[in-house]
Amino acid sequence: MGLVGRPGMDRRAFLAGAGAAAVTMAAGARIGAAQAKTIKIGAIHPVSGVLAQVGQACRQGAQLAVAEINRAGGIRSKDARLELLVGDSESKAEVGAAEAERLIREGAQIIIGAFQSDVVMAIAQVCERREVPFVVDVGAADQITTSGFTKVFRIFPTTSALGKNGAAYLAEIIRLSGAQVERAVVTYTKDLFGTVVSKAFLQAMEAAKSPVKIVEVIGYDLTVQDLSTEVARIKAARPDVLLPFNRIRDSVMLVRELYKQRVPLKGILSPGSPGWYEKEFIEQTGPLGEFAMDAPPWYNPKSPLHGRVEAAFRRAYDRGVDTNSGYSYEGIVVAADALERAKSLDPAGIVAALRTTSIKDHLMAGGPITFDAQGQNVNASTSLIQVQKRRPVVVLPDAEAEARPVFPAPGWDERT
Amino acid sequence: MSAVLLGQALVGGLLTGAVYSLMAVGLSLIFGVMRVTNFAHGELMMVGMYVTVFASAASGLDPYLTLPAAAVSLFVVGYLLQRVLVGRVLEMPEEIQVLLLVGVALVLQNGALFLFGPNHRGVQTPLALAALPLGPLTVDVARLVAGGLAVALTGALALFLGRSRLGTLLRAAADSRDGARIVGADVNRLYGVAYGLGAACAGTAGALIVPFFEVAPDVALPFTLTSFVVVILGGMGSLAGAFVGGLVVGVAEAIGAVVFAPSLKPVVAFGLLVLILVVRPTGLLGRA
Repeated sequence: MGLVGRPGMDRRAFLAGAGAAAVTMAAGARIGAAQAKTIKIGAIHPVSGVLAQVGQACRQGAQLAVAEINRAGGIRSKDARLELLVGDSESKAEVGAAEAERLIREGAQIIIGAFQSDVVMAIAQVCERREVPFVVDVGAADQITTSGFTKVFRIFPTTSALGKNGAAYLAEIIRLSGAQVERAVVTYTKDLFGTVVSKAFLQAMEAAKSPVKIVEVIGYDLTVQDLSTEVARIKAARPDVLLPFNRIRDSVMLVRELYKQRVPLKGILSPGSPGWYEKEFIEQTGPLGEFAMDAPPWYNPKSPLHGRVEAAFRRAYDRGVDTNSGYSYEGIVVAADALERAKSLDPAGIVAALRTTSIKDHLMAGGPITFDAQGQNVNASTSLIQVQKRRPVVVLPDAEAEARPVFPAPGWDERT
Repeated sequence: MSAVLLGQALVGGLLTGAVYSLMAVGLSLIFGVMRVTNFAHGELMMVGMYVTVFASAASGLDPYLTLPAAAVSLFVVGYLLQRVLVGRVLEMPEEIQVLLLVGVALVLQNGALFLFGPNHRGVQTPLALAALPLGPLTVDVARLVAGGLAVALTGALALFLGRSRLGTLLRAAADSRDGARIVGADVNRLYGVAYGLGAACAGTAGALIVPFFEVAPDVALPFTLTSFVVVILGGMGSLAGAFVGGLVVGVAEAIGAVVFAPSLKPVVAFGLLVLILVVRPTGLLGRA
């Protein structure tokens, strides 16, 4: 028999009773969860707009990490659970800054993000002013850690490091294979990332006195609809290798067009851009995408964490972990580690804890995560990966390699 | 720069240009008949691309065989769009029309992001990777089919407008709304049909390029802009102008990418637009 049917109970009494019951139940739920406290982390990524694909991968990485940490007992030293507040930069700096303000207002004690360097810079300024620590998961521009910020910690490699490593991996592959590589063409997308990283790479090639001659540099718009003319130009330059800086859509178009025009190449080696390891690229190019090489900041397949995290990603999102989801995952791990060790949960306490970060066993390539005085992870590194049998595998450095590099790659019509 | 490279650019430019023509003809038709600039044109093209991806995947048919599905569904979308929304603002100031259609574009784009996610989706057809040798040049078969079908469909539309009774009525409504009304034409329905045809052009153009250009929610804007350039270049409201303009822009972009730099493609297209506006403000085939 419900309350409503009881004689003598008027509507007001009923509402009061129901309200009291609701309050009790809500309190019960909190008590049931055992931890009343939550610590909020804000994660800002470009989950809509041009970069929505990578932005959502980043957000997924962060969400997975928060769920795992909470399942393992949350931030134990503070008897608290983590709560992830998510923000969308729409790939615009000013929106990113506004989202940082919002998340801080809603109680975020650490911010992570933000994939694009210009957005990272805008968020960093907000975080400095509001005194909230900012862990940069992805974002390569050098000035992020050379502008004198005191609350900014970056786990991702810098642009100069990306360029230098790209040139070094190219030299190493040529040395290992003994192949004749004299001419190369560089292509890049004319956005901030493509322009800056390709320039850093070209400088590194020059500084290393590379014997490989860059015979042509071709830039094209990020929203390019057709690469047939660009590829005709590549073909006319007769390169041995192609060194592209791109995003996913154009990597697929590029490979298909290279095949259609049968451009003879010993190999494709991207000195560190997205587009060569994603599920979409591998599915859409099939045999043509085989043997493509890329030197991105990547996960370490020999890491003790890798098997478990990879399985969790496949279960949750039907795709393996990659650069973007992996670094955002790691961003949360670094933040949680600092929260665990922090003497107090005020900004100074968290920043002090971040400064003394030292995480030996972690997911991504490179040595232990530790920050220098500028907040840069000194051991951030890149790997050389290659698509082999429809899967991106690490081929260099040796210590992390899952397979031997295949170079020169078989001709276009000999691939299966 | 070699003759081969220029020849390759010319062939590629003509084939891409033919698809530009088809989408611009749709835009020009809508503008010509009811003086509304369809700011959601690229988005309608995107919808046509998604229809093709899903129709082809669901039926297991080659994407070229599901072309009618894209054309018919986009006709319906365009017809309803005009009858439900655009028809209400025809008498209002231009900025209201712009706001409405930019709003429609945003709803379509973000609706697609919500429904289908940000990932690129393509279709499988054996033609996608085929290429024909033409002397020293390579002709992309998928582009050849797209360009050929685009030309054929544009021709069919011109015949329909020129010869059929409905086409005559449409032209009458374009010439004079009141005049058409006086002779008993249902102008609102005609406007719906015109918008439907325009949307179907965009959708079909989208369906034609899906084999070599994957769809994602954000692909629309460059297509909208290119359509504008083509239509203004050819002459506002002139279908023949839109057709010629499409070929001109396609070839100019490709040649510009070879002679200058590939990243100057949009500069070439918009430079051409500025030039035409200065030299011949009515467009190549437009009437003052």
